[in-house]
Amino acid sequence: MKSVTVRIAGANGDGVESSGALLIKVAAQNGMHVFGYRGYQSIIRGGHVWYQVRVSDQKLTSHGDDINILIAFNQDAINNQRSHLSEHAIIIYDPSKAKVLPEDEAKYKTIKLPMIDMAVQVSGDPIMRNVVSIGAAIKLLGIEKSVIDDVLRGMFGRKGADVVNSNIKAADMGYNFEGLEKAYDIPHDSNSRYTMDGNTALSIGAYAADCKFYAAYPMTPASSILHWFAAHANNGVLCKQTEDEIAAINMAIGASSAGVRAMCGTSGGGFSLMVEGLGLAGMLEVPLVVVESQRTGPSTGLPTKTEQADLLFVMHSSQGEFPRIVVAPRSASECFEVAAEAFNLADRYQCPVIILTDLFMSEHIESIDGFDLDKVMVDRGKVTMTNTAGGRFKRYLLTEDGVSPRALPGTPNMEFVAGSDEHDEYGDLVSDALSGIDKYVEIRERMHEKRMKKLDTMLANESIFVPHLDFKDSDFYLVTFGSTTEAVREAVDRMRSEGMKAGIISFNYIMPLDKGETKRILSGKRLIDVECNFTAQLAQVIMANTGIEIKDKILKYNGEAITPGDIVSQAKAILGK
Amino acid sequence: MPEKHEINEKVALHGAQQKQVYTSGVKPIWCPGCGDFGVQAGLIKAFNELGIDKSNVVIVSGIGCSSAMPHPFSTYGIHSLHGRLLPVASGLKLANHSLTVIGTGGDGDGYGIGSAHLLHSARRNIDVTYIIMNNETYGLTTGQTSPTALQGRKTKSTPFGVTEMPVNPMALAISAGATYVARGFSGDPMHLSQLIKGGLSHHGFSLIDIFSPCVTFNHDNTYDWFRSRVYKLEDVKHDPANMAMALEKAMEDITSNYSKLPIGLFYQTDRPTYEEYELSLKDGPLAKQKPHTREQIMEVLEENR
Repeated sequence: MKSVTVRIAGANGDGVESSGALLIKVAAQNGMHVFGYRGYQSIIRGGHVWYQVRVSDQKLTSHGDDINILIAFNQDAINNQRSHLSEHAIIIYDPSKAKVLPEDEAKYKTIKLPMIDMAVQVSGDPIMRNVVSIGAAIKLLGIEKSVIDDVLRGMFGRKGADVVNSNIKAADMGYNFEGLEKAYDIPHDSNSRYTMDGNTALSIGAYAADCKFYAAYPMTPASSILHWFAAHANNGVLCKQTEDEIAAINMAIGASSAGVRAMCGTSGGGFSLMVEGLGLAGMLEVPLVVVESQRTGPSTGLPTKTEQADLLFVMHSSQGEFPRIVVAPRSASECFEVAAEAFNLADRYQCPVIILTDLFMSEHIESIDGFDLDKVMVDRGKVTMTNTAGGRFKRYLLTEDGVSPRALPGTPNMEFVAGSDEHDEYGDLVSDALSGIDKYVEIRERMHEKRMKKLDTMLANESIFVPHLDFKDSDFYLVTFGSTTEAVREAVDRMRSEGMKAGIISFNYIMPLDKGETKRILSGKRLIDVECNFTAQLAQVIMANTGIEIKDKILKYNGEAITPGDIVSQAKAILGK
Repeated sequence: MPEKHEINEKVALHGAQQKQVYTSGVKPIWCPGCGDFGVQAGLIKAFNELGIDKSNVVIVSGIGCSSAMPHPFSTYGIHSLHGRLLPVASGLKLANHSLTVIGTGGDGDGYGIGSAHLLHSARRNIDVTYIIMNNETYGLTTGQTSPTALQGRKTKSTPFGVTEMPVNPMALAISAGATYVARGFSGDPMHLSQLIKGGLSHHGFSLIDIFSPCVTFNHDNTYDWFRSRVYKLEDVKHDPANMAMALEKAMEDITSNYSKLPIGLFYQTDRPTYEEYELSLKDGPLAKQKPHTREQIMEVLEENR
């Protein structure tokens, strides 16, 4: 695999993000594979932000470790990123904004590109330096100039010929800068790929599953799901920004009760507010999909940084016991698949499904060849239109599999009241006047058992509640879940290319777990746990379900995304290599 | 601002093809003499007069004595969480606006723990009829103070007297943007059934606050206490279309030091509902729209090339 890592750095407001987004589009259009991730802060102007774009001839699962090309918009960019530069890095900087040290000149290839002057020259607007800089970067990457021209036409066509032309001219100035030459040889094919972040893939997966209702309160890093749904009001989805996350989850429960596939989303702080609503969905047995995109906690924590520390929280949140499904997608394309399937699981088992992502998964951009839409099927479960038994409809009928027929308001002769209190088969409460009376003590038992029975049913009917094993007969296995699986994949590839027999055991569906099968997969192997939290929460889940204790752990909790380099070096230290 | 569009399925009033029985046979949990019986009677009378189709009605409640309201009814119902009936009701209405969605709860539910939702539902003007049974106390938790308890009132949680100002529900709802704001008294079920009927027929967010005495835990604000203070707005020169006049009447609780408590329709106006502005509802209720097609899915995917 050949790959080049470009990091664009500057201040908020400099156009760092638009530069990164442009480079991603151009590389993907050029038939390359791309992976992008940005570092930013919770301020609107100033600060220090960066966007890392890695291009390759093969599918990437990480934004990479060291920087090959640094595009520096200011002095901070050079000062802060120097330690991340690879051996033969190229620094493109604007002499009006930054200087390099003599030792930088000696160690790296430095290119003085007067980005701001050029931008002002073509458009009068210094912000256009983003296009100038990407023009220069693609020259180094060996991408034809016509590719960026096409992308710019696509991006700005609506704004008229003048805007398109000044952008193309800005790209020209960067591309044709004196002394700039192709520096890398990355093979590419003729495919034009999708590029999207995890939140977009998740939103489209939900859309494909016929989700028509999304409610949320803005919170990084889940907000872009809100933006996606809000932007698609004319495509048959209703998106509601609510007064708080409590309203968001309860509105989604209301919408789902009316028969519309509904979802809400937030980060850990907002999920804390949603917790009571989660239990309501469990008790009313209303299908519900909730996205929890984790960021660094506790409390407000690092709002723009990543972590996987809410796993145990989402598994155990809300009072009492009720069945739920927790799934942590392992790539952007899996965000699509998981979201599409989450609605079927929620409908089939009439319970909440929590999609657990994190800032890294929500925001990193991957190039994706395509999606298999034939695999997306809509199964609404036991929705029924006719009251076959006659009499009052038993919404909470005791059944063998624990799932009762569900009627939707508006259907004649099926009226029922769903209650958050304990209730009987009709939905009539056994809580206030009747609790403690023998007959109703028994009803409580039967109802609780009925709901919990759904866990057995889903484990019996679905084959998804087991970890995935890659590279059978390895000497050791990295055990991980969710977004961290991406970096683990490349780490394992690197170790295998060095002759180490490394394997992967990765979890996406974590709750419930098929204990027997999970134990069988993990047993008798040398295991190293890799996750982004302090307390090794996945390892705790494994211990609780299988009795297998994983002693060796690679844990990261500084807010930065774990990289293949982090994992390889720590795995080698653990293995004594 | 998006243009208002006609929603193509109006509220299914008068939709019943045959005579409807609105009671389920489930007995309410209320104490004998509870004001909530009067509200139940008013609601049934309003349903009967409108000939409402029970399978198109959802009564959503929160938690508290009055939130037991859906159970004696043969309509659809959701007995949700404390303070959260409005978000649940709003979700139902947005997902299927051909349903008649009614919220029923108490003063603690609506003006205390759920007050934010009241404010925002009002300004949205979502077409939900919200009936609050206001007894100025927390009954089901055995008699603590409530957001509408008058200053000085001694309760289990305020043994030395309430020091906070009571919430003014009428002024709150009018200023927040509710388009039908009324107050009734469960001691006069005939009068309040007309207010409920008006709310159900109104297109937009209705708040109907009802003085509904707690005979067990509130011996200060009794039927007699209310009866000696309430008077009907219909009996005085009041124009519900006049917001300034409505607010003045709403403030009379305070200006009269709670000696004169007007009941009746304070305020009503015609403003497009949230549903009428919502782009995704142009083609009818979400619940009745066709599933997203493969072409639609491809269209949103292709935006990412």
